[in-house]
Amino acid sequence: MTENAAWLNEQIDQLAQQQVKFTDRAFWLALKQLIAEQDRRADQLGGEVDGRTWSPDQW
Amino acid sequence: MKTLVLVAHPHLADSSSQQFLKESLPATGIDWEWLDGQQTIDVNQEQSMLRQADRVILQFPLYWFAAPASLKQWEDSVLTRKFVYGDHRYPLAGKELGVVVTTGMPGKAFQRGGAEGLTLDAALAPLAAVAQRAKMTWLPILAIHQFGYLNENEKLQLVVRYQRYLTQPQPDSLTSRQNWFAERLPGMIDRLPADQQTKGKLIASVFDQKSADLDQLTDTLALIKEQSDD
Repeated sequence: MTENAAWLNEQIDQLAQQQVKFTDRAFWLALKQLIAEQDRRADQLGGEVDGRTWSPDQW
Repeated sequence: MKTLVLVAHPHLADSSSQQFLKESLPATGIDWEWLDGQQTIDVNQEQSMLRQADRVILQFPLYWFAAPASLKQWEDSVLTRKFVYGDHRYPLAGKELGVVVTTGMPGKAFQRGGAEGLTLDAALAPLAAVAQRAKMTWLPILAIHQFGYLNENEKLQLVVRYQRYLTQPQPDSLTSRQNWFAERLPGMIDRLPADQQTKGKLIASVFDQKSADLDQLTDTLALIKEQSDD
């Protein structure tokens, strides 16, 4: 996990902990999970872009 | 989207899972009805509610590989042949039908060789057949196994999983999930106390930026793929 991601997670965790309603807490924590999914997907897509760009047979 | 939730459970007040799901209902866009709580079934009223809904959710505990009797009674009274397809008008066509089922056994029991030896898809096939007959779209089942064993974190996750099952457009892709959260974020930030709003907005802006970055990456990749196909 990058420093930025860890910082963002901490912000969301803090916000979630401050919510009185269980369902509000659930929303922010689920958003945290979704952001982790976004980061994973961005890594994968970025890797695929690099891989496809690096194709010597098409140079 | 308007969602109609029909709950079949003979002892609703005693069910911690059903009470939990009721507390987790999204604030808007939901009609919720407890089938066992009605003295008589008002067929016209039920049919009218079905007509108005975009998504219909049947919610119940699994009793002997099927829904409790009240759901069958409701089906037999409300889903008349004439209403569903008899006059060739198919008023339910294009609507979605989903099932939220709770089980006392773990998920792994519901497979061949498992303790129950039957998948939930197989057990609930008659409901899927009703959907097909009515020209409805069948949603993948949301199964909640052994609710009593869930820890705090799993319960928190279940809240949003359930809300999304009731209100998020299909398919359940990353894009759909992003849109679902993006739609709700402004309202959730408004609900925050004043001293927490800055943090909420900051989180939302990072989320929006990540969504935009992903869109751009997806576009770039599509372009590269298109060129390499030439």
